[in-house]
Amino acid sequence: MTDPAIPDPSAGPQHDIVAGGSMRTGRFVVPGVGPVVESEFASVSVDLDHEGNSVRLRIEDLRTGRVRHLDALELEAVVWLPEGHLTQLLDPSSDRWRG
Amino acid sequence: MTAVPTTSSGTSTRYDRLILPDRVHGSLYTDPAIFAEELAKIWHTTWVFVGHESEVPQPNDYVRKKLAMQDVVMTRDKDGEVHLLLNRCAHRGNQVCDDQKGNSSSFRCPYHGWTFRNTGELLGYPYNKGYGGKNKLELGMGRVPRVASYQGFVFGSFAADGPSLEEHLGAAAGEIDRLVGLSPEGSVSLTAGWLQHKTRANWKLLAENETDGYHPQFVHGSIFGVTGSPIGALYSDASTAVTRNLGGGHSENDLRPEFRGFDEPMRWFGTTPDRVPDYVARMEAAYGDDARRRLVEGAPHVMVFPNLFIAEIQVFNIQPVATGECVQYSTAVQLDGAPELNRRMVSQSIGSVGPAGMLLADDTEMYERNQRGVEALQPEWLEVSRGLVRERVDEDGFTIGAATDETGMRGFWKHYKSLMEA
Repeated sequence: MTDPAIPDPSAGPQHDIVAGGSMRTGRFVVPGVGPVVESEFASVSVDLDHEGNSVRLRIEDLRTGRVRHLDALELEAVVWLPEGHLTQLLDPSSDRWRG
Repeated sequence: MTAVPTTSSGTSTRYDRLILPDRVHGSLYTDPAIFAEELAKIWHTTWVFVGHESEVPQPNDYVRKKLAMQDVVMTRDKDGEVHLLLNRCAHRGNQVCDDQKGNSSSFRCPYHGWTFRNTGELLGYPYNKGYGGKNKLELGMGRVPRVASYQGFVFGSFAADGPSLEEHLGAAAGEIDRLVGLSPEGSVSLTAGWLQHKTRANWKLLAENETDGYHPQFVHGSIFGVTGSPIGALYSDASTAVTRNLGGGHSENDLRPEFRGFDEPMRWFGTTPDRVPDYVARMEAAYGDDARRRLVEGAPHVMVFPNLFIAEIQVFNIQPVATGECVQYSTAVQLDGAPELNRRMVSQSIGSVGPAGMLLADDTEMYERNQRGVEALQPEWLEVSRGLVRERVDEDGFTIGAATDETGMRGFWKHYKSLMEA
């Protein structure tokens, strides 16, 4: 069974993306996916998901359509993540482009 | 283009023949070889104004700036330190940042995904097996070797060693102090946005003009007439204002003698205290009895070598592009803690240097006509002798001339020559 959080890559983003830098003010909300956090390097929507028995954060990489949910405990772990660990995650070869 | 003089005069240098005490040679503005030498000996050596700390107020903020023709990313890292990075990937030389500003702890090159911290350090690269694994490369984004700021004004120097920023600024630092001293909080921000004026003229024509008190009555007659500004009268032979060579290539038009004579607070800004009561009250609360002196004397009109011009209510950042082209970036000064005055600062700046402004358009017309003029073969020289007959030394040891004298230009050329001969 296909993980619903991982869309068919050939399908591309599931939502229209406002072109240019207009979304980088953080004042835009994409209907159905929430406010957008964007820089020239990445574009991610964040929203609260109430489908489960307790609320989760829904994060969507708007450039690929990939979605991840983070529960309260996972979010707390992110808050407490040491700076060095976070930096390791930003290394493109850590996960996404491990090869 | 005027030809470079070749007549030998004993042990004199090339610049001895081009820069005389009372005149300078036209080729200084037109010779591509001289422009290339300026890049090496001035723009890539001395301290150059790049931007202001207030443009990157939050950790991980960044803005793209220019240092001469170099595309520079000014960043504030997570610890608050400001860096000047060269906007070039260490891998294949691609431009890394494209947005004019943003907030990001790291930058990812769009070509092959190499990722750098906002300090320039290489953080990682995709598919690392091709390099034998992680952390195998000692490569980062280029950095301007020395970065320093004064009152929030950020300067960069490509020379790893040399005079400190404070030594470079010398007496000009006091003029920046005067500017921030008009803020009730003792600081300024340059956050009103920068206008970019492409100018088809050599950068030195602008640097010389900024403290030329001889031209305003002619070039700016229209804005003085339309606005009823009393500023024009400050630049005449009847004026008590002085042109001061501050040393180090810096110069100012010191209008304080005139304003002290009138003894009217806010006259320098073209208004009266009753029209900006909140600002005046805040200044009095911050500085007590000294507030009145500050409000009477006003803001500086100073050219900081080679490219920072503070024109009372606005700041210019001049960057060269080619022998006959440069860009003037301009923005309204914003005095921290003075919202009432800041709104007027923006309005006045738009009126003077905005796209339809009446001040900079006049100056730029003169710059571009000047550039076309110096392309003519004869006469070969430009005069900088005005006021030599009445120049004197003030109580602080600075050479001063009358309000309309070319004392500032002579100071500029003396310092220019010392750098070009180094």
